Amino acid sequence: MFSLPPPDPRPITRWLVIGLFQAARRPRLSMLLMLALLVLTGSALANAVGPAASYTAAAVPAPAPVAAAPAPTDASSAPMAEGKGLLKQESQNCMRCHWMETMAYRDRETGKIVNLSIDGDAYSHSVHAELACSDCHDRGFSSYPHRSSSADEALNCVDCHEGRQDDGAPNLIGVKHEFEKSVHFTEGVEEFSCFSCHNPHTFHPFKPGVSILEVVAETNGTCLDCHTELLTPVPKGHEWLPRPQAHWSSVRCLDCHTPLEGRIPDRPSHNVLAAEESNQLCVECHSKGSALLSQLYNYRAEQAREEDGFFSQAIYNDAYIVGMTRNAWMDRIGLAVIFLMILGVAAHGYGRYYSRRRQENSQQENSQ
Amino acid sequence: MSALYLYPVWLRLWHWLNALLFITLLLTGASMHFSLNWLIPFDVAVPVHNTSGVLLTVSWLVFLAGNLWGGNGKHYLINLRSLPRDLIAQTRYYLHGIFVGAPHPFHVSAEHKLNALQTLSYVGVMYGLMPILVLSGWAFLFSTSLPETLFGIGTVWIIAMVHLVVAWMLTLFLIVHSYIITTGETPTTNLKAMLTGWHKEASGG
Repeated sequence: MFSLPPPDPRPITRWLVIGLFQAARRPRLSMLLMLALLVLTGSALANAVGPAASYTAAAVPAPAPVAAAPAPTDASSAPMAEGKGLLKQESQNCMRCHWMETMAYRDRETGKIVNLSIDGDAYSHSVHAELACSDCHDRGFSSYPHRSSSADEALNCVDCHEGRQDDGAPNLIGVKHEFEKSVHFTEGVEEFSCFSCHNPHTFHPFKPGVSILEVVAETNGTCLDCHTELLTPVPKGHEWLPRPQAHWSSVRCLDCHTPLEGRIPDRPSHNVLAAEESNQLCVECHSKGSALLSQLYNYRAEQAREEDGFFSQAIYNDAYIVGMTRNAWMDRIGLAVIFLMILGVAAHGYGRYYSRRRQENSQQENSQ
Repeated sequence: MSALYLYPVWLRLWHWLNALLFITLLLTGASMHFSLNWLIPFDVAVPVHNTSGVLLTVSWLVFLAGNLWGGNGKHYLINLRSLPRDLIAQTRYYLHGIFVGAPHPFHVSAEHKLNALQTLSYVGVMYGLMPILVLSGWAFLFSTSLPETLFGIGTVWIIAMVHLVVAWMLTLFLIVHSYIITTGETPTTNLKAMLTGWHKEASGG
């Protein structure tokens, strides 16, 4: 319900083009014109289909854990250099067990299943692909089976990223400050950490060319993994929102549940607001300001254009938001002028009809 | 009875394709602007509007090419010397003469198929409003590549308003155009001419 995007409108566009083409079976010049139009749209369609397909291939891991098996011969499927990441000898020792999809145990205290399986393919496409297991899990794993205290290693994304800035790890201090203002922190949610939302073994930014609907579905999926109470047709607290399903399929939870000020285009704020502080003002998005536009859609459109090409981006541009072009006065004036014009034209037409009849009548009288 | 072959096949085809695109854009645009989901659902309206917009651009370029090399351009040349007199005559006819059975002040010929008022409005629409509409439409599609603000106002907002005002004006043109073509010798004389290519009049010529 939340994760499924609405049906893709593209086939309709395709039919429109084919329809136009069939309608114009006329002499040479028109054929040439239509051919040009078809090539134009065709290339756009071809461009639009390509990247989506390649993304699927990249994001969906192979069903069999062959790629994850720690054999050096699999190097071709992984984008990293030999000896790095999971291909490092130490990592291969780990993966000898952890590639198994059923690798898990039941926590005695909570009774929950703890998944210890690592998807090697997803890992090799993640931002951490070049890291070997021991780069993070550096203590207490030398003996087998691992001691139960090994699990308390208290990994910290911010510190680790700070220490590895020279290797290109992005600084997460800003994210930390945002997070510390968020409701996830101030409300003292038990054991809430980076890992509550982000899986370091699979994490990667969305690739250019991934549709906004997919981005929205996946991002919202992260929220709804925990907030399962919202998985109802009209979730609690959102009763005021018109067309909730349309909103959830095209807008991220974060677009309303983070502060409007100080947004940056490349990542959403980690300052997740409490329900009562979140934006409930429709015009923040549905107006000339379009806070949403600058945050998500503009940025994605720019990325997608580089990937999809000129025409497909023009045609499958998702950046229009209802209300963006609205201005109450302009609409009133426009509609009034149109109405007056229709009235004027109708009056003129009636005048012609009336005078014609009068003329005909007088001609008849004259002839009699 | 007189018959003039005024509109070659390419011109008629262009005219009706252009009309089809324009009406599609008008309907999808109105659905998007006023959120008229009952007219055309939003998910359909946006890609259809974008596609038709791109095709309208091509259509406009075809019009330009037809005028430059197809010999159609001569009808869009404004004769500045006779313009004021012709305009007054034409306006007077529409406001008065048409009601009292006065003769048409303008006679269609192969050299001049448009009267002064038509020439002026068509030139304004096709060389003035249409390029602004098309350019502002493209600017919408590529709003990310534009500066955030222009003269201290949001660029997208300026583009939106320009696109909107021109769309209103062209809707106005569509209404007037659809009506004024009924003012030929008979209400359907001009419509038939644009369908068959032949401009037929029962009287003289």
